[in-house]
Amino acid sequence: MNILVISTCQEKLSENEFVLPITEIIKSYKFDIVDYTSVDSSIALNYDKIIICGTSLQDNDYLNFLENFKTLSSSNKPILGICSGFQIVCSMFDEEIIERQEIGMIDVKTEIDNPLIKGNFQAYNMHNFSVDKLNSFNVLARSNKTIQLISHKNLKIFGASFHPEVRNEQIITNFVLI
Amino acid sequence: MKLGVLFSGGKDSYLAMQMASEQHQVSCLLTINSSNKDSWMFHTPAIEWTKLQSESLGISQIIQKTEGIKDAELVDLLKLVKRAKNQYSIQGIVTGALASTYQSTRIQKICNDLGLWCFNPLWQLSQENLLRLLIDSEISSVITGIAAEPFDESWLGKEINSYTVDELLLYSKKYRINPAGEGGEFESLVIDSPMFEKKLEIISSKKHYSNFSGRLEIREAKLI
Repeated sequence: MNILVISTCQEKLSENEFVLPITEIIKSYKFDIVDYTSVDSSIALNYDKIIICGTSLQDNDYLNFLENFKTLSSSNKPILGICSGFQIVCSMFDEEIIERQEIGMIDVKTEIDNPLIKGNFQAYNMHNFSVDKLNSFNVLARSNKTIQLISHKNLKIFGASFHPEVRNEQIITNFVLI
Repeated sequence: MKLGVLFSGGKDSYLAMQMASEQHQVSCLLTINSSNKDSWMFHTPAIEWTKLQSESLGISQIIQKTEGIKDAELVDLLKLVKRAKNQYSIQGIVTGALASTYQSTRIQKICNDLGLWCFNPLWQLSQENLLRLLIDSEISSVITGIAAEPFDESWLGKEINSYTVDELLLYSKKYRINPAGEGGEFESLVIDSPMFEKKLEIISSKKHYSNFSGRLEIREAKLI
């Protein structure tokens, strides 16, 4: 198992907060961390799974690289997008991103059985953007305010608008085992 | 980027500040002096000695008093962050938050509302890794408050070094405490580090202790 971890952090200092907690969870597997500016059509070739990490609320530089991420959709590799990574996987399929803020621990209800998590849970949210209507994805779980967890209708591509590395680590370990 | 550090003088906020200073310019230290000793938001023991730390580091400090009443203390935190933004033109805040979503959520909201970046370089770091990082970073700190079994009076004023870390890790297994004190088991004050121009020496202090709870009252300290 070889996992590609994509950082979406413009500032390296943010990686301590948004990337290292994820690599700590998957540390028993082989993984590499690459920067969002390096994503291209060949980057996924040598990996089995891809995790796209989140970043700081003020950090929107990754939005300038969305076209590069679109090349990942044809890689046929399972992808988990977290927070900004959630917005990236949605953008890969031209879903509309809307402004919607959630900061803090939020109650989430699971609506569709899925391999990542079961039942209701609390999730650590920290985002200024979300999605409302989806064409290519199923909604797996939602809070009162937003869509929280999605999976692509035909591909093994998942998105969590919250941070599963905080209090919901099993989502990441379950994704790795898919 | 010019940053302000939410600074209590304890090991976590100090370590976060040192890590931030490796990549950015730390322009000021922001300290909340809370009269509520049980605040969920702010670390309180020995806060008055952060002035000496600021002097030794050569970094300006802004202090905001608060009564420490829940929610009202957040208004005081907002005032402090606004002052730092206006006086030092900071673009972001650094905190030593590790695992508390209560603390981090509130600080993230304040920063987001003010258009400031928020950096939490210790976020989700394990208690053991935090202690190892402190030692590797040559940060000397002493214990200034205790609030859990098995910490007896002898822990007040004890320096956190590699021997103490081994002891804390043993205690964490035997007594199920957080070895770096994340659950409020103990509080600390940094007395020396590679960024200190002079070491902070405690000249005189008094221990207040009863039944696994206590604090080190520092009566006199100076930079040497």
